[in-house]
Amino acid sequence: MIDDNAAVSVDALRKAFQVPVREAGVAAAIKSLVHREHREVVAVHEVTFSIAPGEIVGFLGPNGAGKTTTLKMLSGLLHPTAGAVRVLGHEPWRRERDYLRRMTLVMGNRNQLQWDLPALDSFELTRAIYRLPEALFIAQRDELVDLLELGSLVNKPVRNLSLGERMKAEIANSLLHRPEILFLDEPTLGLDVPMQRRIRSFLADYNLRHGASIMLTTHYMADVEALCERVIVIHHGSILFDGPLSVLAQQFAGHKTLVVTLDEPADLSRYGEVVESSPTRTTLRIARDQTAAVTARLLSEFSVRDLTVEDPPIDDVIELAFASGTPT
Amino acid sequence: MSTADHRMLGGIRIAWLHLRVGVMNELQYRANFVIQLIQSLVAIGTGLVVLALIFDHTDQLDGWTRPELLVVMGVFTLVGGLIGFVIEPNMGRIMGDIERGTFDYVLTKPVDSQLLASLREFRIWRLTDAIVGLVVLVWGLSQLDATFGVPEVVWFVSTLSAGTVLIYCLWLVLTTGAFWVVRMDSVQELFTGLYRAGQYPVTVYPAWLRLMLTYLVPLGFAITVPSESLTGRMTIERLVVTLGFMVVAFAVTRWFWRRGTRHYSGASA
Repeated sequence: MIDDNAAVSVDALRKAFQVPVREAGVAAAIKSLVHREHREVVAVHEVTFSIAPGEIVGFLGPNGAGKTTTLKMLSGLLHPTAGAVRVLGHEPWRRERDYLRRMTLVMGNRNQLQWDLPALDSFELTRAIYRLPEALFIAQRDELVDLLELGSLVNKPVRNLSLGERMKAEIANSLLHRPEILFLDEPTLGLDVPMQRRIRSFLADYNLRHGASIMLTTHYMADVEALCERVIVIHHGSILFDGPLSVLAQQFAGHKTLVVTLDEPADLSRYGEVVESSPTRTTLRIARDQTAAVTARLLSEFSVRDLTVEDPPIDDVIELAFASGTPT
Repeated sequence: MSTADHRMLGGIRIAWLHLRVGVMNELQYRANFVIQLIQSLVAIGTGLVVLALIFDHTDQLDGWTRPELLVVMGVFTLVGGLIGFVIEPNMGRIMGDIERGTFDYVLTKPVDSQLLASLREFRIWRLTDAIVGLVVLVWGLSQLDATFGVPEVVWFVSTLSAGTVLIYCLWLVLTTGAFWVVRMDSVQELFTGLYRAGQYPVTVYPAWLRLMLTYLVPLGFAITVPSESLTGRMTIERLVVTLGFMVVAFAVTRWFWRRGTRHYSGASA
């Protein structure tokens, strides 16, 4: 069902590609020149979800899961094979100007700034393409330069910027027209940790200021933890999970990690699986439903100096999710 | 103003800004200007030597006298310069963008994708060819007895523009093929090779080749026809055919581009 109030609404979306099939070897290569056989590869398989205005959603999945294909359908680059998509009330594949003016697509490893010129010159081009009135353009440009801490970097030729600086300039350029929805494909790819963090806080800020919806794919769990209350996990073209990040851990990781520091050394192996231990500090892996009971027993039976209960790292959770294929 | 006018103006503005960017880019590489100038002079020098050799043996080539052939050579070099200035770099960029995946950025902009993709790259130094060509053209004209005035100039400019648009159309159609097969590297070499044939009026070639060089690879329209308009060979019929052919070719090219971009996004599958 298409929800007209949602920023993004996708119903039973499917994308299949026809790819040429060819066996190895010269004979097969010659044969394929004359007669090419095709095979259908389903990249996205009956995907349904919707995103509310102002929501930030992390779109996760291993390489080849169908993330980029889905983003391309949402941004109008790919025509769905079946199913329905509405973004801001538009059918993206029509690429109506009204729609394109309200969205943006940023691909982490693909640049659009002029390589030999300062980013400011590229901003002028963007201004002409989106026909931004001067006052709006200047306001938005200055705000972005400020929020992204670009400063005088916009006056330097792009080729002289570091990868992270260039990415910030790319993001600024992609947001000059103040889009209502952002599709970000690996926006922090290859950046160092402080730069990733800066981009993350910028995105959170932009979302707050302008109420824009953001859908991003990333391989960095820190991005997801910092930005996304909600994640959609896609695997082999199908949605494996859609919900809050905390629930993801509950569903896929049947255990928690308990780190306990005692006054006296002790063997805690009968309380759970010992992952790591030093004389007084032990890391235990325990079944999720046992957490409360084990914690209570430890506290009553030992002299506990410190005790923490943690969900397993999100990377592990995601890995477990992919491994299981279905929610446990 | 109507919406269409607005879009048109917007398109011109975008092309103008890209030209500005192109100029700023190229001014950083002034050595390219010198190299380009040497290249242009060598090319035109070779052409002139060949012409001299021809006229050692004969007074005319299929009714074209020596100064008239100079005019043809001037137009040939001038059009070559225009191609190198705007057509070739943009077509190369489209292919590069398709290979790198950055063509996605062209399609997600709220402007006409064909216009944006066709007028993004400008190589100003290639205009040296255009200037050298113009000099040869004027030199050839100065040796002709014919008088000409405003009508000839108008005919010349309009047929030259139409011819250049025709070459753009052919090249864009070939480039658009990249939407289906991705790698179209050889298009440029193929075209450069064929283009050399335009150094002489297409009328000197056998009929089958003449037809090919007129309607398939529109060198006849781009070079011979503008030269004819300056050497008293132009007829109103020819002007109408040229402009008509341009309109049809442009419409076909536009249709093909739309099909190509639709195929790129998998809409036609």
